[in-house]
Parts: sequence; C-alpha cells; structure tokens
Amino acid sequence: MKYIKEQDYEYIINKYHDSNKPFDGHKRFVRRDEIFAPETGMDGEMIKEGILRQDEALKDLPHPIRKARAFAYVLKNTRISCDPRDIFPAINMIDRPLNDTLINRWKKEVFEEILPEIGEKRKYMEKAGIVTIWPDYDHSVPVWERVLELGFMGLLAESEKARNERICTPEEDAFFEGIRITYTAILDFLLRLEKQATATKGAEKLANGLKNIRQAPPKTFYEALLLNYIYFMLCEHIEGLQVRSLSNFDKLYHKFYQSDLQRGIGEQEIRTDLAYFFLQFTAIGNYWNQPVFLGGCNADESTVISELSYLFLDVYDQMKIYNPKIQIKIADSTPKDFVLKALDMIRRGNNSIVFVSDATIRKALMRAGATAEQARTCDVKGCYEYSIQGAYSAGMNYLNLLKPMEYAMHQGCDGVTGHFSGLASPAVESYETFDAFYAEYKRHLASILAVTMHIVNSFEDYLSYINPQSMLSATIPSCLASGKDALLGGSVSNGSTVCPGFLADAADSLHAIRKYVFERKELTLTQLRDILDKNYEGAEPLRQKLLADREKYGNNKQRPDDLAVDLVNFITSRVVGKPNAQKRNGKWNCCFHVARMSYVQGAKTAASPNGRRLGEELSKNCSASMGQNREGATAAILSITKIDATSFASDAALDLGLLPSAVKGEDGLEAMYGLLMTFTRLGGHALHINVFDANTLRDAQAHPEKYQDLQIRVCGWNVLWNNINKEEQDGFIRQAQALV
Amino acid sequence: MNANIFEIKRFAVHDGDGIRTTVFFKGCPLRCIWCHNPEGLSAKPQLAYYAHKCVGCGECARVCPSQAHIMTNQAHVYDRHLCIGCGKCAKACLGDALTFYGKEMTVDELLPLLLEDKAFYENSGGGVTLSGGECLMQADFCAELLKRLKENGIHTAVDTCGSIPENALDTVMPYTDVFLYDIKAYDGEIHTKCTGRSNQQILKNLKYLDECGKNIEIRIPYVPGYNADQVEKIAYFLSDLKHVTKIRVLAYHNYAGSKYAALNIENTLPIQLPTDAEIQKAKDLIKSITNHPVST
Repeated sequence: MKYIKEQDYEYIINKYHDSNKPFDGHKRFVRRDEIFAPETGMDGEMIKEGILRQDEALKDLPHPIRKARAFAYVLKNTRISCDPRDIFPAINMIDRPLNDTLINRWKKEVFEEILPEIGEKRKYMEKAGIVTIWPDYDHSVPVWERVLELGFMGLLAESEKARNERICTPEEDAFFEGIRITYTAILDFLLRLEKQATATKGAEKLANGLKNIRQAPPKTFYEALLLNYIYFMLCEHIEGLQVRSLSNFDKLYHKFYQSDLQRGIGEQEIRTDLAYFFLQFTAIGNYWNQPVFLGGCNADESTVISELSYLFLDVYDQMKIYNPKIQIKIADSTPKDFVLKALDMIRRGNNSIVFVSDATIRKALMRAGATAEQARTCDVKGCYEYSIQGAYSAGMNYLNLLKPMEYAMHQGCDGVTGHFSGLASPAVESYETFDAFYAEYKRHLASILAVTMHIVNSFEDYLSYINPQSMLSATIPSCLASGKDALLGGSVSNGSTVCPGFLADAADSLHAIRKYVFERKELTLTQLRDILDKNYEGAEPLRQKLLADREKYGNNKQRPDDLAVDLVNFITSRVVGKPNAQKRNGKWNCCFHVARMSYVQGAKTAASPNGRRLGEELSKNCSASMGQNREGATAAILSITKIDATSFASDAALDLGLLPSAVKGEDGLEAMYGLLMTFTRLGGHALHINVFDANTLRDAQAHPEKYQDLQIRVCGWNVLWNNINKEEQDGFIRQAQALV
Repeated sequence: MNANIFEIKRFAVHDGDGIRTTVFFKGCPLRCIWCHNPEGLSAKPQLAYYAHKCVGCGECARVCPSQAHIMTNQAHVYDRHLCIGCGKCAKACLGDALTFYGKEMTVDELLPLLLEDKAFYENSGGGVTLSGGECLMQADFCAELLKRLKENGIHTAVDTCGSIPENALDTVMPYTDVFLYDIKAYDGEIHTKCTGRSNQQILKNLKYLDECGKNIEIRIPYVPGYNADQVEKIAYFLSDLKHVTKIRVLAYHNYAGSKYAALNIENTLPIQLPTDAEIQKAKDLIKSITNHPVST
C-alpha cells in the first residue's frame, strides 16, 4: 500500500483477527489474547471472571454504577499494545466483555422475569419470521463536535458541572456517577497506554498523541483521529453500544487539517495518518462496515466539500478497502468533479459508497419536527439511516410484509408453520374482489404493526436498565441537562423504528393476485393458495408465467408501483409520530431497508404469488424483487421515487445494478452522474450502485482465486465476493442477468 | 401513420450526449458484415428464437395458429417456414426465448414511452435518439415523431448510415438537434465490399448536412481486416467539415452472434477484434489530422 509500510500493514490487519484464518464477520465477538504481552494485563476469561467477582459486592447499587465499575475494571486490566508499526493502540477486549457478564443477564431478567409474556412473544415472532425484534444498542452517534471540542477530560468536567448545579434524585446521581467512573477510567486508561507507548521505541508519535488527548482536547488532525478511534473502540467494544458514525468527517476535521498545514505538518503526513486510521476499521472487520459521512451543506448553503474531502477519497481509493464505508450527502452545491471522482471509484469496483440526498433528508427531518439547523447538521446512524445530532433512535424491528398475505390466505394462519396468528380471516373462497382480499391483508398488517409496537414500547423503557450508557450520554447536552440516560429519554429525540421489508415482493404478489385471480380469472384464489402451499410443485408453467410478467414494482409500471406506494402510506399512517415507550417519551418512525432479513426471514416465508419459491431470498430495501428490474436503471429510479421518502425520517434505499458496458468511458461516467442527480432531484433518498455483469460473477464463482478483491454490496454494507455463500452469490448472478 | 419499431432502449448512454432513449427502426439499406443489429436489417417483422432460454413450457405451441411451434417429447421445435408473423408466440413465451422484432407503432403510442425518462434527459443533457436499422427509411414518420418531441422540449438525435435520399434529411432536419452519422469507409470499393453499397450518397449527404449547418457527431466503426486502414482518409475528409461536434471510434465487437443464430440468418461477423491499443492509435491519428474533438 502506498501510504502504509508492508510490515505495518501485516501487523495492523492482524491486530484483531488472524487474517490467515477464515473470518466470519457476523461473529462480532472475537479477541486475540495470544498476541498481547501477558505482562500488560489479564486474558479475556480472567477479566470476565473478575467483573463478576467485583459485581458480587455491588449488587445493591444501580446499574449505571455497576456497569461503569465493570467498564473501569476492563480498562484497568485488559491487555494492550502500543507498537512502533502502528500509530493507534491495540486493545484486547473487543469481544464486548460486559455483554457476557452483566448486560445479557440484565436482558434476561427483563425478558424472562419482568416481562415474560413480552419476551415469549418477541421470541415467537422472530422464530416464525414475522418480525425480528431486539433491544437496539446498535445505532448510536455521539455528538462528535463536542467530543472533539472538549476531549474526554472536558466531557467529564461538563458532566460534573451539570451534576453539581442540581439537586439530584438517586437515579440522577447514579447517572452522573456512572459517567464520572467511566470517564475517569478512560483518562486512567489513556495514561496506561501512554506509559506503554513512551516505553516503546518508535512509538513516540502515539505516546505524544495519547498524552495530549489525555490532558486537553485534540489540537492536530492526528490527535483528533486518535480520539475518534479511542472513543469508537471503548464505546463499541467495551461499553457495548455500536458507534454508527465516524462523524460528518470533512466538516469536523477540516479545521484540524487546516491548522496542521499552517503548523507545517505536510499533507503527506495527513494522508498517511488517515490511511492508518482507515485500516483500523478494515482490521476490526465488523460485517456491517463502519459508516462515515462526507459532504452536505454549510449554513450559507455552500458545499462542505473541501480539499480534505478529495484527499479522503484519494486515500480511500488507493487503499481499495470497503470498511469504513462512505455516505456522501449530495446537494445542488456539491461539486460535480467530486461526485464524478466517487462514481469513477464505484465503476472500478471500489464501491463501498452510498449517495444520499441532502434535500430529501432535511425535508424529512423537518417534517418530523427537527429545526432547519438540526436537519442540516444531521449525522449518519446506520447503513442508510440518519438522525439529528444528540438523538438516539432505536430500531430496527424488521417486519416481513409477506406474512400478512399468508394469514389472509390461510384463515389467519402462517403459511409455513400453520400456527394461528391470533386474528382469524375468512375462508379463502369467500374473497369476492381483490379489494376485499387487500383489505384483509391490511388488517393483518395493521395487527402485526400494533403487536410489534406494543412489544417494543413495553421493553424499551428498560433499554438503559439493561445497558446504561455513560459514554454516549456525556456527549449529549440534553442528557446532562436532564440527568437522564441517552436511552431513557435524555436524548434530543428518542425515537423507535419499525422496518417493514420486502416491499417489492409484497407489491408484486398482491398485483399478481389482482391480475391473475380477480381480473383474468385464470385461477381461483383457492387454487393459487394450494399451489403456493405445494411450493409450485406441478405448476411450473404458472410460476414461469408469473416470473416472466414484467408488470412488477421497480420497472415504472403504474399498477404495482401504486400498490407499493399505498403500502408505504398505509404503514407510515399507522406508525409515524405515534408515541413510543413512556419513559423514553419519543415517537415512532419507520424505515425500509432489510439488512440480512432477505435471507433470514426469506427462509421462513412461504412461496409467494410473484413466482418466488418457499425459502428463497426476498427483495432488498426498496429495490425490485430479485432479478426483476428488467426495464433498466431509469425505470427503477422512477418507481422508487414515487414513494414519498420525506414522509418518514429514515431510509428508502435503491440498489442499482449497472452493466460495465453502460458506464464505460466519459459518456458512462456522465450517465451515472445523470442518474444520481435525477434520483436526488426526484426526491430519492439513498442510492447505491453495483457495477457488474453476470459473466464476471459466474467466473468469480467458478474461480474465486482470480477475484480476491471483488467486493459487492450486500444490503447496506460491502463484503468480498469470496466471503458470501453460494446462495447469496446466486442471488447476485440472477440480479445481474436481468440487467438491461 | 405507423412505423416498424424493433426496440426501445432506455438508459442508452452511447447514442449521443447524456442519458437517452433510443428508438430502433426496422429496415436498413446497407448490409455491413459486422452489423450488430441484424434484427434491424429486414424491413419485415421477424421472430427470433433464443434456444438457450427456452424453458419448454409449450405456451408457444398452444397459441400458434399455424403450427410453426410444436412440442415433441417436451422439446420445442420451431419451423420458421410455417410462421405467419403474428407474434402471438412471443407474447405467450414464458422464458423470453421468443422475441418478435418489429412492432407497428404510431407516434401517439411512442411519445408517452419516450417522455417517461424526461427527468433523466434534463438532468444529464440527454434526449431521444432515432436509430435502427436505418430510421430515415421511414423519414416522414421520424419527422412527425421528432416534431412532437421538440414540442415537448426534448433534445433529439438521428442516427443514420447516410445511405438515403437527400430529401429524407430535409424532412427531419428542422426537428433534429444532432445527427449521429456513420462513416464506414472512404474508398468506394472498400465501402461496397463491407456494406454492399457505394458510399457516394453517404459522403454527399454528409457534406450537405454540414453545409446546412447541422451539428454532426461522426461514428466510425473500427473493424480490423476490413476498414481499419480507412481511418486516415476518413479523417482527412472530415477535416474540411465545419459542424462536426465529436468523432467517435466504435470498437467492433462480436456480441451479436446469438442474434444471427436466433434469426436463422447467415452470421457474417468478423472474428478478429480490435485491441485497445489499436483503437487508441486510430483516435490519435484522427486527432493529428482534424481539429474536431475525438471522444475518449
């Protein structure tokens, strides 16, 4: 690598996982006791035992204090490494030790003892592939501006100041005490790291950086990166709360960049520091990839894009990595050459980049009640989602839009397991019109939404009981002002999210029923149900006919598109703005991405009326169903932009496949730009582009050794082609085959 | 008034500037041996059968009024001589194996389809391109369509081989923003050998368009062993023209082989493909001779 020495690369890439061994990114909990010097601390199992031992004596104390003590215990005892081959320290305990010891126990207590019925319902719904619900500790964003302005010491001082300015209730005092213990432990930990770095020949830069950020807020670009990394590692891996943004990077880091240049720190050094920073996230290898924002607008609507943004892309491009992943906020003022640079990277296969529309996001946030300033400065908080700074929006609660159809066709029973949903439907023969069937579908959908929201409202008041958040809360002024945890109503906004998935399969299936059963009367609904129950066995010609029908969502066909829009409107009318858990005192919202659910819930979903077989993969995000975008890129965009992406302040993402031949040369790049700008101007939210053709993917499947660096967007994150299974690869090949 | 259309391609990015929709008209006066749209050669409708896509469903046999399709032991057999060209089988085909090239369409039918992507044209500097075959064999229809497109504020391009009467150009000229004009050879003998027709009319028409002050984008297919040595002469010829906005060198490819087989017509495609270096050399040569921009 241009910016990273070979021996340094080898060290860093093996810091958290042995890169020579197969690594399953879905297993988040991995650590490497063996590569750390034993004299630097205890091994992982000893630490976990120590936490439990310590906690025995603390049982009468509130959770924020017990957790903070455990956090401090880990920081005091974990093995560390400050190596001359790296400018960021290595911390051993990246396997979330507090989850294994305290958090999972408290979670169990909530779901098995305090709310046993809710716990059972949640488990059943997940198992049956109806809704996947979990207490969400995966989508936090600190107020990065404050973190960088104040540093750890300043954050602690601000918290203590707020604590001393009020007469605290016992709960509030526990909240502030948790922060005090946590941040004191962080400062002690920095000193421990600093001592080791100082004693290590060749680690002077790291030693100085650690010393400076321990004593004061960061002053240089490198110190700001170091602070960011330390916050990320401690919050994500020890505190047990995923940090889903590395900030509005070019906006927040520009001042450090400029001041470095003025001090005579060369641009080359800044590039190198950035490369080493990126490589940390590549090495950690979280499957969901680490998001970071670029672009957007300043207060005067001028672009945020600066020379630092170009430098960022340059370094990233050269490294050919996909983690971290980049979201670029596109506004009318975003320089065209910057966007073309990113598009060119994408067509060369370096495509861990998503474009999001600044205008759509701001409009959506303001519709949801944000101020113009809050909307303009929002941060990324997930694969595609966004939120205003200082908010904690929990989610995702992935809901399967095919299940209400199974219920409506089976008198209220699941099409796979036969279990009764609790809401009876009439016999399938009795639907006389499509409207009657569709009304029944919606009745079941409304019921699943209501049950989901009830379950979530019941347990989300316990979010901070299970996993109190000192690190995050200290960065949010409203938490300090209210003395409340960020997860318990302290944040600026405290939303909950439901994420209905497989919009395309649902719309296409409903349309197929309307067209073939009620309009053309080619078969009765009873016959169709029986065929679906038999997974199309003996009815292959019908299945082929359903698959071949081009009147499907994602192809700019009015009737299926109208159904998709109607479904979204129905869902938003039932969800958006409704009150969530009492103590959180926030509002409900919805979003439309599916993460891995297209496989996970797809496996539990019966054959569907659009030709999809039992268990097959379901559609992704707001894209056409698998292999069904047959009218090309413009039609796909025209379909998705019929959905009002500002009616819910979250994601509506389109995964667009393009053939290499369509995007080659100057014309091809201009065409990609034209697609993107049309998408954003028509009100689209998020666009991701995969450039591939079926032949290349087939060859890659047959000869993985030739395609070691081929990366592909799964659903909000990238993976290496060789790291996905054959079923997933086949899905991409089917998609590529359909490209025109 | 009807035209015979064999394809409408959206998100066309190499048929003029920006994102375009290209309408392919059936029928062509030339018979270029490297033709990559053989389904556009004949002016008559044609059924293509892509055997590898056939799923053996038998729907074609069920709807065919002339028994051109029959199923034998679940295998599909197609007798082209019995086909009456009704197109019912292609509509019924479940595997996209049967494609009917040639659909009679009116301007009123075409226009809304072409306006669907208006937002993309506007955001990319694109528009609609009429191509083929040779679209100007149906010049009156083209003029009407182009006029309606202009009334809707759409940028228009006409892709022509130039082997058409001069008055066909006159007919569409008022409504055409740019002509995409193919030059396959400068030497008449080579042109005739490669395309079956002389290029006298083509070169004459090109000069005429230039004199009329129309914007012209020149397209030169580069086919090793056939017209590769013509590039220099073509460039000298073009250097005298005043309204050439761009010159594109189109690298010959042989992707159309399956179409020849599906249409059951003789595959004339050359075997040898150009290298990237050859294409670059041809572009550099043109640049050294003319001042016209050469597409990268």
